[in-house]
Amino acid sequence: MISRVADHCFWFGRYVERAESMSRTLAASMSLALDAELPPANVWRPVLVVSGEEERFGERLAANDDDHAAWGDGELVQRFMVWDEDNGVSLLRSVLGARWNARSIREVLSLEAWEAVNELHLWISSDAAQAMYLQHRDAFYHHARRGTQLTLGLLRSTMLHDEPLDFMWLGVLLERVSQTARMLDVHHHAFTHLARHHEIVETALWLSLLRGLSGSEAYLKRAAGRVSSDGVARFLVSEPAFPRSIAYCVHSAYDRLCDIRPPERHELPGGVSLEQLRVLDTWVAARAKEPLTGAAVHDLLTHVVDEVHEICGTLGKELLGAA
Amino acid sequence: MMQSQSQSQGPLAGLFDSYPALPGTYDEMFDAQTPRAAFARVAALLAKMRPEELARAQALAETALLHQGVTFSVYGDSRGTEKIFPFCLLPRLIAADDFRVLERGLQQRLRALGAFLDDIYDEQKIIAAGVVPAEMILGAAGYRPLLRGIKPPGGVRIHISGVDLIRDPKGTWRVLEDNLRTPSGVSYVVENRLISKRMFPRVFDAARVHRVDHYPTRLAETLRSVSPVPGDDGYAVVLTPGPYNSAYFEHSFLARTMGLELVQAPDLFVDGDKIYCRTTRGPKRVDVIYRRTDEAFLDPEVFRPDSVLGVPGLMRAYAAGNVALANAPGNGVADDKAVYPFVPDMIEFYLSEVPILEQVQTYVCLFDDDRKYVLEHLGEMVVKAVDEAGGYGMLMGPQSTAEERDEFRRRIEAEPRRYIAQHRIELSSCPTWIADRACVEPRRVDLRPYILTSREGPWVLPGGLTRVALQQGSYVVNSSQGGGSKDTWVMRESA
Repeated sequence: MISRVADHCFWFGRYVERAESMSRTLAASMSLALDAELPPANVWRPVLVVSGEEERFGERLAANDDDHAAWGDGELVQRFMVWDEDNGVSLLRSVLGARWNARSIREVLSLEAWEAVNELHLWISSDAAQAMYLQHRDAFYHHARRGTQLTLGLLRSTMLHDEPLDFMWLGVLLERVSQTARMLDVHHHAFTHLARHHEIVETALWLSLLRGLSGSEAYLKRAAGRVSSDGVARFLVSEPAFPRSIAYCVHSAYDRLCDIRPPERHELPGGVSLEQLRVLDTWVAARAKEPLTGAAVHDLLTHVVDEVHEICGTLGKELLGAA
Repeated sequence: MMQSQSQSQGPLAGLFDSYPALPGTYDEMFDAQTPRAAFARVAALLAKMRPEELARAQALAETALLHQGVTFSVYGDSRGTEKIFPFCLLPRLIAADDFRVLERGLQQRLRALGAFLDDIYDEQKIIAAGVVPAEMILGAAGYRPLLRGIKPPGGVRIHISGVDLIRDPKGTWRVLEDNLRTPSGVSYVVENRLISKRMFPRVFDAARVHRVDHYPTRLAETLRSVSPVPGDDGYAVVLTPGPYNSAYFEHSFLARTMGLELVQAPDLFVDGDKIYCRTTRGPKRVDVIYRRTDEAFLDPEVFRPDSVLGVPGLMRAYAAGNVALANAPGNGVADDKAVYPFVPDMIEFYLSEVPILEQVQTYVCLFDDDRKYVLEHLGEMVVKAVDEAGGYGMLMGPQSTAEERDEFRRRIEAEPRRYIAQHRIELSSCPTWIADRACVEPRRVDLRPYILTSREGPWVLPGGLTRVALQQGSYVVNSSQGGGSKDTWVMRESA
């Protein structure tokens, strides 16, 4: 397929996944802020850190002051992460990005999938969405999440399962690896450094993190109700059957790329990306047998985020027509 | 909607009660207050609809178009605003007998125009024979001397055309202009039909209308027929300037409905006079390009050097016969507004036939007598710049101010080759839903049928884009000037 079209497919997948992830994270944080008995900044600042927007927020809204009230101002953080047009990862920007890429490959998408993303775009640009945001915040996040999930589901159920869908899904999975890794990293760091080690608070925090990744029910099934820092970290890194774990996403991404660029077809472009992804997949799988505590978690997650960043760059050059 | 329709017990006149026909104008549906015989059945069914039903159907149709993204981009809007092309649900009807004449007339016209282009880019016999003055042709902005001697692959130049027709007060069809470069609008023909069928299933069924949804299939066949690679092995693509182009929806629509890939210029490159597409599996040879980029932007090596929409070397590949371009570059000389008056002469010269379709009498300002007449009658005439389209560069004499007329007088005297003039024709009208007043009123319309020409000759889509001047009293149907569209129902059989 045309490299530029593959690039739009890949980014379409990334933006839809990013929009879903943002609406889920914000909803989970809002719920956490209500009953976790945490300083509000400990709830909201991680949202900014995970999205990589801590610095911009600090400059624009917190006067570069670590003690500024803005860090704990849930309304301000949400407005920034939902509506801010200068914030490249805001929900609005992700939806606009998804829709712009979709429109650029309108002939590639199925009619149903296109309509779903177009309706999400029309909705978030409407006065009705603004009103819902103000009056029923939770319903707003729910609606946004439904729109993205509908889009992703329709892609799989109405499109040919061939190269364009492989590229979209590759985008979804690689975006998801980074999201899971960053969320786990930030929360692991914050929770294990809580001033007073408080078991109930910690449990609430871990459950909130899992909810932010649609993983609380799945985790509880695997862990038979036992919530522990190590257990959650292990689950989010290595659980092979959880569709948002790092191991699952990296392995599925590798599978998708194998379909796009079969390993034995050495004459085709894409060999370097494929090898990088294979190495990462093997590496992540090997971590399942090692202890996962303290600094090891941070080192592992940093390695994953860096490698995924690297792989996306190589993919761009080899397959997506980046100069 | 079906249910309430069968329940309504109102008088037959209903929707068209007190339809205020325009004086001195041919109405497409009514002769005075009586529906024309060919349309009596459809008119009776439509008349039974209550205004609120129509208003609801109209609103539903508009929402559907918006959700499906059947939109055009509004230029000069930094947020990339898109709008739906205004659409009136009430169809424009064309009788079977009428369309048969149009069909033959359009085929004849396209054969002559094709022969004219072949001749102009070869021996130029028509100039030697004195049928068309050399200056008319060689001075046309669309004439490309560089292309002389180049034969297009497959021998076709006007693969896709849209001919604008109007109807005068006597009901006579007249060609207003030919669009032989990159005519747009056909996607609305297909989309409008989908909406009509959904909103008026009963009326549509009763009307027995020719289908239009096979256009993309016919277009794909036309493109394959001119491929330099025989059989089904050729690779055809649709070339778009990109999502910011106002007609992007259509480009994407056509690619999707033909199952072809939609490419942009940076996806293509030329190597050894062959053209390739950059794909995830390396370069892929391209054989046919349905290009929706203006030819001025096609190849910066030949045309505008500042074009970022172009593919350097494309014209070399074309001249070498390695790629078919639809439409062929250079067609602008044949749809130039100053060459238009000579089309009937072309038909006689190349085909030795009598022209089937009438035209609008046209004054060519380059000719002394014509210019004198035009300047003396500016207030009654429509003056058009020959190289502008979309309703721009026009003087509507009867509605103009003295300053505007003086301005055009100066322009005509300075550059007579650039201007032609016609008497204003009272375009025919069609019942149109006016949302503001919740009633049906006459509005003026034109018709753009689409003609596909393959190696086997021209084929006319039985339908077309009916454009309607939605503003009360307006004669300008262009979408850039407040025009909308209607579905065009060509009847399958005589009444």
